Amino acid sequence: MPAPRKREGAWGAGLALTALDVYKLLPKTNCRDCGFPTCLAFAMQLAAGKAGIDKCPTASQEARDALGKAAAPPLPRVTVGTGDSCVTLGDEVVLYRHEKTFYHPTAIAVSVNDALGDDAFRARLAAIRALAFERVGQRLAVDLVALRCGSGDPDRYAMAAAAALAVTGKPLVLVAPCEALAAAAHRVAPSRPVLSPPPDEVEAGARLAASLGLPMIVKARGIPGLESALASARGAGARDLVADPSARTAPEAVAASVAIRRLAIVRRAAEIAYPTAFDLGGDFPAAFAAAAVLIPKYGSLLILDTADPADVFPLLTLRQNVFTDPQRPIQVEPGIYPIGAPAASSPVIVTTNFSLTFFTVRSDIEASKVPAHLLIADCDGMSVLTAWAAGKFTAESIAKTLAESGVAGAVGHRTLILPGMVARLSGRIEELSHWRVLVGPQESSALPGYLRRLPPDAFTPVHG
Amino acid sequence: MTVPSSVQTFPARILPVTLPAGAEGLSVTVGGQNVLPLLPEGDCPNVAAVGLEVRTDISDLPPSLARAYGERAGDPVAFARFCAPECGARFLFLSLSGCHPDGGGRSVAEGAQIVRRLLAAVPHPVIVGGCGDEGVDANLFPAVAEAAPRPVFLSYADEKNYRLLAGAAMAYGHGVVAWSPIDINMAKQVNLLLADTGLPPERVLIDPLTGGLGYGLEYTYSIIERIRLAGLSGDTMLARPVLCHLGDAWKAREASDASEAGWGDVVVRGRRWEEATGWACLAAGADLLVCRHPENVRALGGRAWR
Repeated sequence: MPAPRKREGAWGAGLALTALDVYKLLPKTNCRDCGFPTCLAFAMQLAAGKAGIDKCPTASQEARDALGKAAAPPLPRVTVGTGDSCVTLGDEVVLYRHEKTFYHPTAIAVSVNDALGDDAFRARLAAIRALAFERVGQRLAVDLVALRCGSGDPDRYAMAAAAALAVTGKPLVLVAPCEALAAAAHRVAPSRPVLSPPPDEVEAGARLAASLGLPMIVKARGIPGLESALASARGAGARDLVADPSARTAPEAVAASVAIRRLAIVRRAAEIAYPTAFDLGGDFPAAFAAAAVLIPKYGSLLILDTADPADVFPLLTLRQNVFTDPQRPIQVEPGIYPIGAPAASSPVIVTTNFSLTFFTVRSDIEASKVPAHLLIADCDGMSVLTAWAAGKFTAESIAKTLAESGVAGAVGHRTLILPGMVARLSGRIEELSHWRVLVGPQESSALPGYLRRLPPDAFTPVHG
Repeated sequence: MTVPSSVQTFPARILPVTLPAGAEGLSVTVGGQNVLPLLPEGDCPNVAAVGLEVRTDISDLPPSLARAYGERAGDPVAFARFCAPECGARFLFLSLSGCHPDGGGRSVAEGAQIVRRLLAAVPHPVIVGGCGDEGVDANLFPAVAEAAPRPVFLSYADEKNYRLLAGAAMAYGHGVVAWSPIDINMAKQVNLLLADTGLPPERVLIDPLTGGLGYGLEYTYSIIERIRLAGLSGDTMLARPVLCHLGDAWKAREASDASEAGWGDVVVRGRRWEEATGWACLAAGADLLVCRHPENVRALGGRAWR
């Protein structure tokens, strides 16, 4: 009895206009210039987001405006930085990642203060630059440097901004009063920093951001405060805005973050629909907890004071998890993976290239302390049973993997351990590959005991 | 222009479930809410409860846990008596993994004896986890159910062993944790099967299988969200409190490997690895968390959210 799986509707993703709404805006001539047989067919494609209004040569300006507005992302996109280090904030379409996916990972900034002595300042920048980790074939790193103005000296602050940019290569969040902000912003404007003036200087900050074409964080207390502060920033000509509700506790921050995301996605409340920023530095209580909840709960940019990898690595990993596309699981490369330090007499274990399957099996083999060769078959990232049911993990494909992986050259024996879930494939694999098949446990968690109990003669070399 | 309300309302509530305590202990009630977690809206009579795992197999402790447990690690009852009040655990999860053939191979009678001693030593609500070996658990759960002098929860029932668990629970007045492998339909199915046995719904918790940070946590996150949204939308079989056991977080190499200099102190990192897993589960909708690190019981238990 399947549970309901809602994809669209009041709380899901979807164009704000229905196909019928769109049809009413079209010329209704069925001229076929758009490539579709009728205007109604074209309208359905437009409403589904699968075609653009530019394909219709005779659409009115009114239709273009209406469709352009409806097709705009409910949460606008703001970019900080340039080139390879450019960070995108916002531009999301759903509240729940299972409805589609979250597109733009929460940007993480780590702070440095310009009041630090030269050596301490350099050391801090080096520590921030070192916050980079490899996981599942992806590089996880801190995205931005938040430069705080503790000195109160515009010249010093501008020099610190130039140094932070030069040392780390990361785009900057400039957190400073407007005088210092102006000095630094002019100095590093081509790197496209985001300006973060104090709440009582929103208008002056917005004029500066507008004059340099830079993005800006608007700080004000709560949703009502933000609504008017954002309006005055827009009034001063600033365009790429990020909303900081200036929360003082983790619960306040999460409540504001959820409120803004819901208003943007569900209510289409354009006046408050902006990417969000949260400064979790200073004496912010339980900053790690706040960051860990704001990553899944819609925070667009977080400023942390900690540069301890023991704090930052878990948060970056959480971000990697949450922003993985749920409809396209991370796959691992098919091939042979040595676990421990396997020898020619070590077991060969086969499974699929679904990342969760791979990591589970790998960690269970590691737990067994029995070195092994883990053979990963290409199954389009499906788990064992799913891949078997889809015809991707079959005797034929396993025999082919055995032959093509070169595993025969890495071991002296010809014995393969097969997941217990697909025990029925064993006979056919033996026929096709001439490898002997041992049926492993049903669940990966039983691998440690299984591997430790394997008879020592299971992997004796073959000759001839 | 006034910004519209952002409150999301739901037609249904999560069924309240109580984990009973011993004499002079505080029982734990979770569920009862008609809102999503960690938000100041709707009606949320009970906060999430955080408990501490008490282990019977302490081989291969990661450095972070070895430091936190100290010399008490070897005696589950002494460990529980000291650590539970100190870290503010609202309940205990006694893992009988020591009865697994690969985890020490204690006998079923020894397992039942530990349950009896623990329940006599602490007043906390207790969930008793099996050892994970199908054959051993088939004898262990009935023995535990009989030995426990007061009601506990048995963890866990799946679609294979649900009759055994439900039978043991009903015979002695215990509750059951219904387990499913990150699969919303299976979660529902196990609850239906348990309901068919006659086990009252207010004695059932959902365990959706908690993947550790970096190792499948995102699947757990979305399954909890979907279970919760379905429950709040009126699917009674899914309108149950969700329990997340954070133990998988400690299986990650990142939580226990001291050899990577650039990853920071493994003692801090291990604790953070579990804590981040716990926050994500709470953000998704978990009602009960089981921690291995006592410090995380305190961190996740509400200082930040109360």
